[in-house]
Amino acid sequence: MNDSKRHLWPVDPATGEPIPPRAQPGYYPRFQVLSQQAFWDEATRRVVLDRVENVPEIRFFSAAEATLLEAVFNRLLPQDDRDEAHRIPLVPYVDERLFSGKGDGYRYEEMPDDPDVYRLALAAFDAMANELHAKCFVALDVSEQDAILESIHEGRPLGDVERWRLLPARRVFAKLLHDAAATYYSHPFAWDEIGFGGPAYPRGYMRLERGEPEPWESAERRYAWVPPDGKGAPR
Amino acid sequence: MKTPLGGAFEGPSDDAHGLGPMQQLTRPMRRYPPSEIADYVIVGVGSAGGVLLQRLARAGFRVIGIEAGPFWDTERDWVSDEKGSESLYWNEPRVTGGRHPLALGENNSGRGVGGGSVHWAAFTPRFHPSDFQIHTLDGVGVDWPMSYWELKPYYELLEMEMPVAGPARYPWGDPHGYPYGPHPMGAVGNALIRGCTKLGIGVSIGGPVAILSGSRGNRPHCIYRGFCIQACKVGAKASTLITHVPDALRSGAEIRDRCLAARVNVGADGRVSGVTYIDPQGREVEQKARAVIVSGYAIETPRLLLNSACARHPDGLANSSGTVGKYLMAQAGNVILGRFDEPVRMYKAPPAHALTEEFYETDPKRDFARGFAIQTVGPLPIAFAKQMTTAKKAWGWRLRQVMMDYNHWAALGLLGEILPWEDNTVSLATERDRHGLPVAHVTFNLHDNDLKLIEFGKNKVMEVMEAAGAEEVVQEPRYAHLVGGARMGFDPRTSVVDKFGRTHDVPNLFICDGSILPTQGSANPGLTIQALAARTADYLIAQGTDVFQTNKRPLDAPRVRRDLSPPEALGHGVPRLK
Repeated sequence: MNDSKRHLWPVDPATGEPIPPRAQPGYYPRFQVLSQQAFWDEATRRVVLDRVENVPEIRFFSAAEATLLEAVFNRLLPQDDRDEAHRIPLVPYVDERLFSGKGDGYRYEEMPDDPDVYRLALAAFDAMANELHAKCFVALDVSEQDAILESIHEGRPLGDVERWRLLPARRVFAKLLHDAAATYYSHPFAWDEIGFGGPAYPRGYMRLERGEPEPWESAERRYAWVPPDGKGAPR
Repeated sequence: MKTPLGGAFEGPSDDAHGLGPMQQLTRPMRRYPPSEIADYVIVGVGSAGGVLLQRLARAGFRVIGIEAGPFWDTERDWVSDEKGSESLYWNEPRVTGGRHPLALGENNSGRGVGGGSVHWAAFTPRFHPSDFQIHTLDGVGVDWPMSYWELKPYYELLEMEMPVAGPARYPWGDPHGYPYGPHPMGAVGNALIRGCTKLGIGVSIGGPVAILSGSRGNRPHCIYRGFCIQACKVGAKASTLITHVPDALRSGAEIRDRCLAARVNVGADGRVSGVTYIDPQGREVEQKARAVIVSGYAIETPRLLLNSACARHPDGLANSSGTVGKYLMAQAGNVILGRFDEPVRMYKAPPAHALTEEFYETDPKRDFARGFAIQTVGPLPIAFAKQMTTAKKAWGWRLRQVMMDYNHWAALGLLGEILPWEDNTVSLATERDRHGLPVAHVTFNLHDNDLKLIEFGKNKVMEVMEAAGAEEVVQEPRYAHLVGGARMGFDPRTSVVDKFGRTHDVPNLFICDGSILPTQGSANPGLTIQALAARTADYLIAQGTDVFQTNKRPLDAPRVRRDLSPPEALGHGVPRLK
């Protein structure tokens, strides 16, 4: 295992030791939604399997933009606790939506269209990195990347504020984060991680109360972990 | 066991049009030749349009529905998957703004035959009698040009036609019972019961929801799979696609799907002459009609009227009052999320399965008018993740960590009445859609009463969640539903249509959908929209050819046509006890 990335791994709070990447993080160690696909309807099976098996090619972003967005998404939704084979690709699905011109039904009046939001935001990330550290965003260490992103999240972007005059920082952050989260949590690996039963037609659910698992679901087996920077959720 | 007995489920194999696993459209649809003048063209085959199409066709009129979205085959087109259900929503461009901009798209806008009733959660409470006269009672908003009692027979009819499952006695508003028994509880409903019971608040469990608690004819009962708002593949949740459209087609109606209405045309006599739409190949087609009903919902209806401006109607069709697009309303829909030590698994059971209307009416002890409901909601992982980015400001590892606790969270929704304000509007944006038509620009602002109501209501729901035993309670502000924008009223100077949906300006142009609601109460609007559609249909049928030939505007209530329900609605459920 490549230990050079140990500083990016979540930490066991009891020992202070980094937890090595695994195929399936989360509290449902043997639960695999895809093992149930024979019980799904054909249309659902096709949509979910296509998502897993056919990762779209990058057609909207330039190679440099795709690399930069991947660095951003790696901070918005870090996957360093997953082994290489079980990481969930995010940039290709956002690229596909932007390339196909599919919108989500509205834009805020002070915001440009989605393709422009992405292009302008990526340029702004690099400009901020250059102004603050004389490096491009991808070359920064993760704490520097996080500081830039947190300042945008708070609506008080670091550096020259003029570059955010036509690009409302909080809304830009929310758009990127929502796109990343909607892609991550649409993947069966993420459903395994959080113990979500997934598609349930035509079989349905029968154990509706007390959070009980179906016979084919798994009970929760919790373990303690904190993010590598030690600043995790309170529980 | 990794495979089902008898092999994997492949769905139906023949070529019939599937509406759920048991219901199919077998006979080909009637097609009117382009040269034929229809009696009625209905723009939008959604909650209202589906009911109108069915009633008018059954009464023998030649009716054509123009629908922007597709005519769904539920086995082929719908999936048990959040991301895979994006095509159910109105995803064409719109602009949103104001001090409190509304999220549109998946939040509140349907597209396709069945419209919003395809992806509603299907809570179907009636409005209260007080909702029809809040200006008289509370000095706010405006009174309706009709009373609850005029609409009541249609509430009863639609509760049978959908049908609605719920308790035998529903205590709020005008007390009544439901024709199908209540649903079993999911874990979120149990949390609502625990919290309310501890605080001495009454709860309605297992409904009212338009979801089958027992099989009916060619529709199976609910299987509690939790994907209600991703469209019900089971066919247990009512949508006009499966409740009214099949009978409309049997009765000779035509639906032209994937056709976007561009404008309503006005003849030299000042009456509307038909509708021009963009067909699936991108061509402009004119369909002539003796009368037109616009049922495009609260954004597309005002947009179509404004886009239909002509020499005779320079500010938009039927807009001599300047009211088209104004008094748009959404309900406060804050989501209150509570984390419990024990698992919840809120993805099981319909999101809608328990509620309380204990706080619905104006309470003089509070510092605002009107009130709110508290309802169960059951966000699936993507919706929940988005809520957590706001409610807990979570991103990065913190979001991953919170999401690993998805199965420990329960979600309740505030449903609060926001009053009608003139500055909440649908207008035309400068930008255009792919057909060159100006898109809608939605502006939304909360006012003092709304802000006080939301603050009080949000805190009350958080109190209920804490009383239920949640160890951590957070909330996300948001808005649910859309109504108004072409409101009904007595006075042609301050409203767009009369109480039957006839525009004050054009005698053979009608509007029937959520846009005509003058106020909205704190009840989900779907049932009321369908009930209004059945009532407008009875009115039009009673008027007969007068609508096509005269400019008369009688306002007498029509006879209630209980004989025009879809036949499969009759002979099931609990008989209504007087």
